Amino acid sequence: MPPIETFYEVMRKQGITRRSFMKYCSLTASALGLGPSFVPQIAHAMETKPRTPVVWVSGLECTCCSESFIRGAHPLAKDVVLSMISLDYNHTLMAAAGHHAEAALEETLEKYKGNYILAVEGNPPLNEDGMFCIIGGRPFLDQLKRAAEGAKAVIAWGACASYGCVQAAKPNPTRATPIHEVITDKPIIRVPGCPPIAEVMTGVITYMLTFDRLPELDRQGRPAMFYGQRIHDKCYRRAHFDAGQFVESWDDENARKGYCLYKMGCKGPTTYNACSTIGWNDGTSFPIQSGHGCIGCSEDGFWDQGSFYNRVTDLTQFGVEANADQIGLAATGVVGAGVAIHAAISALKAAQNRAALREEA
Amino acid sequence: MTSRTLLVGPFNRVEGDLEVRLTVEEGRVVAAHVNSPLFRGFEMMLLGKDPRDALTITPRICGICSISQSAAAALALADAAGVTPAPQGALAAAILHGVENLSDHVTHFHLFFMPDFARPAYAGRPWHAQAVARFTAMEGSAARAMTSARAELLHIVGLLGGKWPHTLAIQPGGVTRAPTVRDKIRMATTLRSFRSFLEASLFGGALEDFAALPSLDALMGWSSGDAGLFLRIAADLDLLGLGPGPGRYLSSGGYPTASGTAFARGIWTEGTTAPLDSSAITEDLSHAWMLGPSRHPAQGVTAPDEDMAAPAYSWCKAPRLSGRTMETGALARQVVDGHPLALDLAARSSVLARVAARLLEIARTQILLEQWVAALDSAQPFMAEAPLCDGEGAGLVEAARGTLGHWVRIERGRIAAYQIVAPTTWNFSPRDAGGVPGPVEAALVGAPVGEGEVAPLAVQHIVRSFDPCMVCTVH
Repeated sequence: MPPIETFYEVMRKQGITRRSFMKYCSLTASALGLGPSFVPQIAHAMETKPRTPVVWVSGLECTCCSESFIRGAHPLAKDVVLSMISLDYNHTLMAAAGHHAEAALEETLEKYKGNYILAVEGNPPLNEDGMFCIIGGRPFLDQLKRAAEGAKAVIAWGACASYGCVQAAKPNPTRATPIHEVITDKPIIRVPGCPPIAEVMTGVITYMLTFDRLPELDRQGRPAMFYGQRIHDKCYRRAHFDAGQFVESWDDENARKGYCLYKMGCKGPTTYNACSTIGWNDGTSFPIQSGHGCIGCSEDGFWDQGSFYNRVTDLTQFGVEANADQIGLAATGVVGAGVAIHAAISALKAAQNRAALREEA
Repeated sequence: MTSRTLLVGPFNRVEGDLEVRLTVEEGRVVAAHVNSPLFRGFEMMLLGKDPRDALTITPRICGICSISQSAAAALALADAAGVTPAPQGALAAAILHGVENLSDHVTHFHLFFMPDFARPAYAGRPWHAQAVARFTAMEGSAARAMTSARAELLHIVGLLGGKWPHTLAIQPGGVTRAPTVRDKIRMATTLRSFRSFLEASLFGGALEDFAALPSLDALMGWSSGDAGLFLRIAADLDLLGLGPGPGRYLSSGGYPTASGTAFARGIWTEGTTAPLDSSAITEDLSHAWMLGPSRHPAQGVTAPDEDMAAPAYSWCKAPRLSGRTMETGALARQVVDGHPLALDLAARSSVLARVAARLLEIARTQILLEQWVAALDSAQPFMAEAPLCDGEGAGLVEAARGTLGHWVRIERGRIAAYQIVAPTTWNFSPRDAGGVPGPVEAALVGAPVGEGEVAPLAVQHIVRSFDPCMVCTVH
């Protein structure tokens, strides 16, 4: 087998300049919360290490993860990461078609056995022997398991792969199932969100490449550097929450003043993600900035918590009190311990979900 | 006479999963069966939920046309409540939706359709070297320029809608964000920069000139930009003779604002336009793995047949208008709107006609977007009161790929029925009870298949010319 080229070589081949490359390294360092001193380290790794092959498979999904990645990201990050993944297997973009594509996948799996990262978008439906999602005449479940065999780690892109997402909403007609329930013998990094933020996706891949290890994960298996804080903690409307200033109805006077959206059902207080710091579409904005509350799309079960416009008080398992003022007080005290509490709550929720599943079965 | 069967799929560079079964005799396709092998059951999940949840759930049917789904859901809920959106809100929604459609069209051209001409099979053609340089999958210079320009264009969605994909801002009464004067200027700047990309790279000329092309002859004389490259290829490979559609077109007009839809709403059959009677729509289930009779979507149900019994061969239902197949998409919109170039192409529905109409629509949509942004008035309300009440509603919008309809019934404040008919459901439908193939199935008949070709190029051109979005098809 010829030596695998480095990422830097690949990027240069794709026409990315040295200057852009260095800029990418510093952007990534800051997105990862690393200081400027890490920039040379990232650059060095990308220049000298053989690139990590990435195999990207899609199951039951809507392609929003790929699209977030391709359309939403800073052009530089997008170019870099596209050049990382494009060489191997990606359903939406690759050149080969039909059974050639399947053959290309098989070849990649063999060639890089034990070395590649498997990135999974979407999830397998288990009902009817997986026949609700068929790829190359076989259930996606088979392709997923086959691709996972030789992977050194698995990335679960988005809420679908991580938790099930809306397609798993009751009654979950196809029994769409998060991938950790079918891949049990590999480390899985969850990058939830519907879709995840592009910069988070590029950051995770670059981190793994640079340091040759998984990023630090929280109890739910999410990279702590991106999912360690709530939207609420860094929300630019937070001051209005603390001051008890709320939007009461869409586009009212308070909305024009940019008051807090808590009463409009914003799930920012219970959602762990980086939207309020990194932003979307190249940092342009994020949902709260558009005057619509957060729907909590990076949280397990966000799709089945009652209406998206209900106030978070309905989520009693979060121990949230009845009114906003109390939440404000509680929240200030909780910030430090947030992650641990959240993890415990989520474990509880998972248990409840399993119980619900058993009831249905 | 020897007959062989080819199974083409999974198709890549289309959105979602797609398989096409071809029967080939003497180097030509004689029958095609299109299968959508992915089913998720969104219509079933919506039942019993708060109607407003449709605004969050239905966009997640598709990560490419999520704003279309969101606009259709908002319109259906508004219709059920008898609400007219605030005029400025409707305008902002049109901008959001227009940006997504524009971005889908340029994606289709650069990343999905054109790369096929860079294949080695076409080496030796006079245009091949240029196609390789510009459109090789993921490396071509045009594709790279497009992805950068597009990411920037989507900043508009960022500004108005918070994020893309899966934007939340569109509501039955309008949009959640009233753009400020500063936003307006930023959007105008972004559009200006996208216009320069289109004029420099895609058209090699002024958008207004392309939008004013009066006929097929005039079109074929357009030689500049990547559009010119495409037209040279189309002439050389006779793409005008490839992949004929049914010659019947359906369009709901798209972008409803206070002054009506941006393009005319209606149908075009046998040379004449007529109003669109949406009550004549039915979904035939005879060849879908679905149980139940053929019904209007307002009465429709989604009950998957877990036995996947023959003769059904797809998860896709078969929508028909007055019992007939209809083509929908950019070509249909432009034909129904009466654009002279599109009318000239109408009777010659083909790979060329579809792609040319998309180019025409790219030019026209960019111009519309500029006008809409200029018409934004921050001082006006962007949201009308939209109380929730029981009732029935329908929302028909134009996604990039064609007419998208949502039908909702609300009882006791909960969703009692929800049906979605997506553009690709129309175009990629399976056969109906009368055995009539769907538009793509019919378009594939007659396509040449070279000796030993396992994924015939002609078939790929035809399928991609419809720009299928399979995840929307079977939601």
